[in-house]
Amino acid sequence: MKRSRFLVSLLAIPSLLVLVSCNKSEPAAGSGSGSPGAAKKLTIAFMPKSKGNSYFVACEKGAREAVKELGVDLLFDGPTNTDPAKQNEIVENWITLGVDVMAVACENREGISGALKKAQEKGIKVVTFDSDTTPDARSFFVNQATPQGLGETLMDEAARLCGEEGEFAIITATLTAANMNEWRKHIEARLAAKYPKMKLVDTKPCDDQKDKAQQETTNLLSANPNLKCVMAICSPAVPGAAEAIKQAGKAGVVKLLGLGLPSENKAYLKEGVTQSVILWKVADLGYLTIQTANAVGQGTLKPGAKTFQAGRLGELTIEDTSIILGKPFIFNKDNVDQFDF
Amino acid sequence: MNRYFRELSVAAALALLLALLAVFAPHFYQPQPLLSRLTAQMPTLVLTLGMTMVMLTRQIDISVGSQFGLCAVVAGLVSAGGHSLALSLAAALGAGALMGAINGWLVAWMGLPSIVVSLATMVTWAEALRLFQQGKFINLPAGVQWFGLSQTAGQVALILLGLSLLAGLAFLLKNRAGGRHLYAVGSDSEAARLSGIHPQKVTFGVFVAMGLLVGVAAVFNLVQSPQVDPKCGTGLELKAVAAAVVGGVAVNGGRGNVWGAFVGLLLLATINPALTFLHVEAYWEKAIQGLVILLAVVADGLRSKRQSP
Repeated sequence: MKRSRFLVSLLAIPSLLVLVSCNKSEPAAGSGSGSPGAAKKLTIAFMPKSKGNSYFVACEKGAREAVKELGVDLLFDGPTNTDPAKQNEIVENWITLGVDVMAVACENREGISGALKKAQEKGIKVVTFDSDTTPDARSFFVNQATPQGLGETLMDEAARLCGEEGEFAIITATLTAANMNEWRKHIEARLAAKYPKMKLVDTKPCDDQKDKAQQETTNLLSANPNLKCVMAICSPAVPGAAEAIKQAGKAGVVKLLGLGLPSENKAYLKEGVTQSVILWKVADLGYLTIQTANAVGQGTLKPGAKTFQAGRLGELTIEDTSIILGKPFIFNKDNVDQFDF
Repeated sequence: MNRYFRELSVAAALALLLALLAVFAPHFYQPQPLLSRLTAQMPTLVLTLGMTMVMLTRQIDISVGSQFGLCAVVAGLVSAGGHSLALSLAAALGAGALMGAINGWLVAWMGLPSIVVSLATMVTWAEALRLFQQGKFINLPAGVQWFGLSQTAGQVALILLGLSLLAGLAFLLKNRAGGRHLYAVGSDSEAARLSGIHPQKVTFGVFVAMGLLVGVAAVFNLVQSPQVDPKCGTGLELKAVAAAVVGGVAVNGGRGNVWGAFVGLLLLATINPALTFLHVEAYWEKAIQGLVILLAVVADGLRSKRQSP
C-alpha cells in the first residue's frame, strides 16, 4: 500500500510540472496570437479628479462593476481634493509600479500631458475620462456627453414639459462661457428646427451663483407673465431658479428643467418645483472607462475604430478618438432616489 | 447748496428709474416679487453698511465677498449639524470677527495699505474655502429657512432687521462720539490723533465691525433658501463698494453716510430687474452699472476739485 502510494506520487510530480509549465506558456501564446479568448489579466489604474467628491464616488462604483465583470486588477487613487500637481505625482508612481493601463480624469489639461506621455513611452496605455488631456497624451477619451446631445436633450425635454408651445427663458452661467454658448447654439438650432410654437424670450447670466440665478428668475417670472418654462443650463442655477419659482408660488405652473446634480435638486424634484434634471449616469461613465481601458490594454480596441462594444452598455459610437457615452439621462421625482451623487 | 445734494441726486435718479418702470412696466410693482427682490438685497445692504464705515476711515476691504462665503459655509455646517440658528449666527459672527481682526491688525498696527491686505486675504479665504468645500452645496434642515416662519413673515422680518441695522448705524455714526471718530480719522488721521483719538484703535475696530457685519449678512443669506452655495460671496465686495460710492461715500475718506449708501444700493439693484422688465438684452447690465459708478466718481471728483482752491 505504502509503496504504491509512493509510486503514484512519483508519477504525479512530473505531470504537475507539465501542468505548471502549460499554465505558464498558455497566456504567452494567447497574447502572441492576439486572440481575445485568452485575454491576459491586466492591472488598470483609475484616477478621479478628487476622491471625496460624490460625483467621482458614483463613478468609482460603476468602475468596480466593470472590474468584477472583466476580472481585471484595479488600482484606485487620486488627490483628496482637486490638485493637479498631486495627479502628476500619482501618475509617476504608477509608471514606477508598471501598470498596464491608466484611466485619468484630468484636472489640468496641459499640466498632466507630460507625465502621461512619459507613461506611454514606457509602454503603458493611457485613456482619459470626464475631462480630457491633449489628444497626443492618450489613445481614447471617454466622453460623457457632446454639446449637441446635451442641447437637443434639453430642448426636447423643455418642449415635452410645455406641450411644445409657449414662452421659455434660459439661465446660463455667463454670456461668455464657451461650453454653454455651444450648448445654447444647439438648443436654439433644435428650437428653430422642431418647435415653431415655442419662443425663447430671454437669456440671463447668473455668474455661476445660485443666489443670482434666483434673483434673475424672480425678475423673469414677473416680467414675462406668460412664461411657461425655465431652462437652467449651469448646475447652481437649477436650485436657484427652483427657489424663485417656489417663492413666487408658481411651482408646477412654470416648469423647470436644467443640467445639474441629482443630490442638489432632490428636494425640489420631490416638491414638484423642478420637473427634470439632466445629466449622464455617472456610474456608467466609470463602467465605460474600465471597459475602454481593458479593451485598449488587450489590444482589441485600436485607433481608427468606429464603434465599441462596451459590455452592458452595448455598442457605442466613436467620434475621432472620443468614445461617446450616449444620450444624457433625465432625472425626475420618480428615479432620483436611486442616485446619490 | 444743500449739504445732502449728492445723496438727493442719487435718490432722484432712483425715483426717475422707478417712475419709468411704473409707466413702461407696471407689473414691476407686483407685491410678491417686489418683496422677494427687496429681501434678496438685505445681505448686500448689511455688507454695504460695513463698507461705508470702512471707507469713511479712508480704508477699503475687498475681502468681504470671500469672508461672506466662509461665514455662510460655517453657519451652514453648524445648522446642518442640527444646531440652533443662534449657534450658527454665533459661529458666523466669530468667523467674521476673526477675519476682520486679521485685516484690522495688518492695516492698523502694521501700517500696510488696506487694498493690498484685503486683496491677499480675499484670495486666501476664497481658496481655503474652495479647497475645503470643493464647491459642494450644503443642504439645510427644514426650519432654518425664514427662521421657521411663513415665507412672507420671514421676508418682512428680514427686511425689518436690515432696516433697523441701517437706522441704528446711521444714528451711531451721526450722533455718537465713536461714530464721529470714524469721520475724524478718515478726514485727517494726524489731526484726529492730536485731538486725542487713537486712529489705530478706530481702524482696527472698524475692520472687526466689518467682519461682524459680514457674519450677520451671511446669516441673512442663509435663512433665504434651503441650501448654501459656497460661491455665494463671489463679487459681493464689488457690489458693496459700488453701492457706497454711488451713494456718495468718498473713496478718500471722511465723507458720506449710510443712508446715501442705501439709496446707492437700491439704484444699482434696480437696474438689473429694470433691464429684464424693459426687455433689454443682458449684455447691457454690467455696462450700465459701470456707467452709473463712473458718473458717481466723476461727480465726486468735480466736487472735490471745486472745494480745494
